[in-house]
Amino acid sequence: MLKNAFLTLLSLAIAIVGGGGSVWYALKLQDGVGAIRIGQWTAFPDIGTPSADPYSKARVAREGVLALGRAEGLSFVAERDAGGGELKRECTYTIEGGFPTARFWTLYAADQSLGVVETGKPRLAALQSYGVVRQPDNSVVISAGHHPMPGNWLLTDGFGRMYFVLTFYDTPIASSTGLSDVSLPRIVKVGCNA
Amino acid sequence: MRSFYAAMRRLLHAVLLGLLGAGIVHIAVLLLVPEFSERDAWSRLSMASDLYKMTRLDAEAGGAPVVKSVDPLFYATACRFDLGEGMVRIKAPGHVPFWSVSVYDRSGHNIYSFNDHTATGGVLDAVVLTPAQMIDVRKDLPEDLQGAIFVEAPIEEGIFVIRAFVPDDSWKPIVSRFFEQSSCELQDF
Repeated sequence: MLKNAFLTLLSLAIAIVGGGGSVWYALKLQDGVGAIRIGQWTAFPDIGTPSADPYSKARVAREGVLALGRAEGLSFVAERDAGGGELKRECTYTIEGGFPTARFWTLYAADQSLGVVETGKPRLAALQSYGVVRQPDNSVVISAGHHPMPGNWLLTDGFGRMYFVLTFYDTPIASSTGLSDVSLPRIVKVGCNA
Repeated sequence: MRSFYAAMRRLLHAVLLGLLGAGIVHIAVLLLVPEFSERDAWSRLSMASDLYKMTRLDAEAGGAPVVKSVDPLFYATACRFDLGEGMVRIKAPGHVPFWSVSVYDRSGHNIYSFNDHTATGGVLDAVVLTPAQMIDVRKDLPEDLQGAIFVEAPIEEGIFVIRAFVPDDSWKPIVSRFFEQSSCELQDF
């Protein structure tokens, strides 16, 4: 009798802990269903729309996100450089290449919660396309690091994991058909000062 | 020995049953999270302000941002509305480099969005209403609604968000004023 009660309890415990825990884990992952990858950049064009998958819907509800609409823009997040290593706040990176068609774009360095990195300085850890210097072929080279650099400098600060968030506003690529032949800039690690 | 095997089989049975249950619980919890979340955008906004009241979402207005991960080069403001009480009109006079607008339903799904290129003369003047209210309005369109953008949304409660681009610090006062002058009102008809 006691053995039966124990087995029932065991089943229930596995069901509740396993079920609840797996949902919690699935919602914590940055990667997920419905992601589109271009190089190191990931976007969720469907997030926040009624046609999103249940995981995206749960994430939207849990984190209180109000996702950008199709007519507003599309955000890409990068968590690794071209070499496959995780982005670190203490490292220096070069972001270079062409950018797809958009009215303008913004790029910022983000922490784990995808909020902008606190620099403790008046300068934001963010750049926008109206304020960058371009190469003769219209591509852009951006240096991201702690110390001022010539050309386009994206200020970062602190230690630990970092993400780059690149958002295109008023862009044809936000409609899903436009995403097929889009190329995004490469993120190359220059060095780290530990 | 035989009783040991029997016990093991029953244990295995219980574990398998537990895993099956875990699958069911996983699906049930996943589908219930949006229903019962107290951290979604609507709940956060309702803690910050009333219906039909513009609330800044960015941290610039003081305090922690109400809704997270707003682009640092953007300001955003939102108001909650209830179409069950009538249609809602959102206006924001003035010009900023770029503004965009989204209408969200109660659970934070983006239903409709547009930007300043869509609006007449780049001025934000929009009305959100249900399809039934739209039929009523079409019968006799009031003079002052002629230039407005009509957003037909098959919802009751919803959130209206305006985002505006702040290219650099010199634009901050202009964009802040744009938001201060914005209004979100229940429209009588």
